[in-house]
Amino acid sequence: MGLVQNVVFGLVQGSYIAIAAIGFTMIYGIVNMINFAYGEYLTIGAFVGVIAAGLFPLPVAALVAMVGAGVASIVLAKLFFTPINETGPVPMLLTSIGLGLVLRNVIRLTAGRSARYYDTQTTTYEFTGIPDVPVGSVDLFGNFFVTSEHLVVVACAVAVFAILHTLLTRTDVGIAMRAMSDDEDLARVRGIDTQMIRNSVWILAGVLAGLAGVLIGIQTNVSVTTGFSQILQILAAAILGGAGSPYGAIAGSYIIGLVLALSTAFLPPSMTGISSAIAFLVLVGVLLVKPSGIAGQEVREA
Amino acid sequence: MSVVDRIRDGDGTLAGVAGVVAVAAALLFAVSPLTASVPGEFSVFVDVGILFGLYAILVLGLDLQYGHTGLVNFGHVVFFAVGAYTVAILAAQDSFAGTSLGYPWPLALVAGVLVAAVVGAVVGATSLRLRDDFLAIATLATAEIFHTVTVNFTDTFGGNTGILGIPQPVSNLAGSFEKTMLATLVLFLGLAALTYAAVTRLTEAPYGRVLRAIRSDELVTRSVGKSTFRYKMQAFVYGAALAGLAGGLFALYNGAVAPSYFTIQVTVTVWIGMLLGGASNHRAVLGGLAVIMGLRLFSRFANDYAPVTSGEFASVRLIVVGMILVLVIRYRPAGIWGDAEELGVDT
Repeated sequence: MGLVQNVVFGLVQGSYIAIAAIGFTMIYGIVNMINFAYGEYLTIGAFVGVIAAGLFPLPVAALVAMVGAGVASIVLAKLFFTPINETGPVPMLLTSIGLGLVLRNVIRLTAGRSARYYDTQTTTYEFTGIPDVPVGSVDLFGNFFVTSEHLVVVACAVAVFAILHTLLTRTDVGIAMRAMSDDEDLARVRGIDTQMIRNSVWILAGVLAGLAGVLIGIQTNVSVTTGFSQILQILAAAILGGAGSPYGAIAGSYIIGLVLALSTAFLPPSMTGISSAIAFLVLVGVLLVKPSGIAGQEVREA
Repeated sequence: MSVVDRIRDGDGTLAGVAGVVAVAAALLFAVSPLTASVPGEFSVFVDVGILFGLYAILVLGLDLQYGHTGLVNFGHVVFFAVGAYTVAILAAQDSFAGTSLGYPWPLALVAGVLVAAVVGAVVGATSLRLRDDFLAIATLATAEIFHTVTVNFTDTFGGNTGILGIPQPVSNLAGSFEKTMLATLVLFLGLAALTYAAVTRLTEAPYGRVLRAIRSDELVTRSVGKSTFRYKMQAFVYGAALAGLAGGLFALYNGAVAPSYFTIQVTVTVWIGMLLGGASNHRAVLGGLAVIMGLRLFSRFANDYAPVTSGEFASVRLIVVGMILVLVIRYRPAGIWGDAEELGVDT
């Protein structure tokens, strides 16, 4: 497989990780917690979407999934996270790990173990005629293909980035979010309704998780582990980009996506399974050199 | 737990004596011509009891790290796995998959503890300066990396099959299966008691006070001239070494290791046991662990009567376990037997 093909896969994977990682990192920036249950929000979105897709056309089903995951996110936050908001990051993280365990198994009980599929009509666009340049064991160029699902994922990601940028720079809520992320006390003193902003972030993060879940679902399938299998990548992307920074999360996501995809090109076939470990090695490496990530707030103590 | 739990708080000596007696009794029983039989319905108690002995060593090490020093290690299973795999690779003979070198098992066990300690030192050196929740993530990621490595490096770790043919010294001494089970139970509870004695000695010394000072205010501790990083590193390495010991013992008891034994579930179980009982109190964390493992025992029996499949029942059990974690943090942040004032949490 040519290098170009792996770059395509890397950009696609980077795109859906980015959509999820933005939500994840905004929860970190504004609620000040690492939400380990966030992967399950993707799973909830994917399941709501696949059920809705039986009733509505796919775009409508995706919207239903986004609303569903957004509602789930705010309800879960009110039930589990808001009451312990003042206890600090570690109790919040542990609670999210417990909640993730609960959600995963509730989904397993209600949805069963078998995978479900979105009914999509895939169009494959083949690009041929690029001269193949072998370097060692890796073909640098060569033919590659792009599917309609790939294009949908990338297009959705670009749309999300544009809407997010507008939200954060042009709307009162978005500007308040940025202010809170910088300095919560100052924001409160300046008259920002911090609880309202937190609620908005929970909803926004849920909506993004729902979309990411559907996008992952249309490419592969929907199962109990759909979101959980992504959470460590999302986490790596968010921390790599600097926890709390939405723009950093986008950059981190594409780095992780490309590293994962390209590692499969350079590793022997028997070793492709370790690519997720490579993502974490990248993460640990970044934490060592710059503990605050590429564009992040300071996370090193004193 | 029977032995350890009755001991008065802080009485490490008693635990030490009980541990020595139990270990000696287990070994004598194993070599003696005595026979034993375990009625079918009780074998599950012995089974969970053996696991309790191992997890007790794990939770005592974790409590040294989190309960006393405040280090949020969410990858505890990795040190357990490193100990187990080191013993497996060094001591196993003619394994079906992976490397098996066939060295004597005592040597392998010592190596297991040392390798786990070294891995602990490496992980600690790279992540102990991070903020609490990032330390949790870094250790969690370490566990994930190790898991992926064991699954994929088939030549060394045997992939999903794991490594078989690990010597089972207790089994060889005791002969029959049931006698082995009983001897292992007493032996592991004895070793857990010895661990209890060792960590109690450590934490009741002035050394333990420094650790707790770091937990409550690192900056102040540093300002009185303590090298907090060195203390944190030591606590982390001790905890890792204990987990390595538990892992090595597990390998020598089980006779086989595989990635499926070393999932995040292990980490979650010891964490919930610790938080449920009350971090920083050795007796309390063992009590909490007993509660959470008692739940496992109870659920095995309850499943016989519940009209659901065992898969569904496993899900229900994990939902209960997750809810316990959530509810403990919210309503009893110091745990059932913990000291809220000591831990500096609001109840």
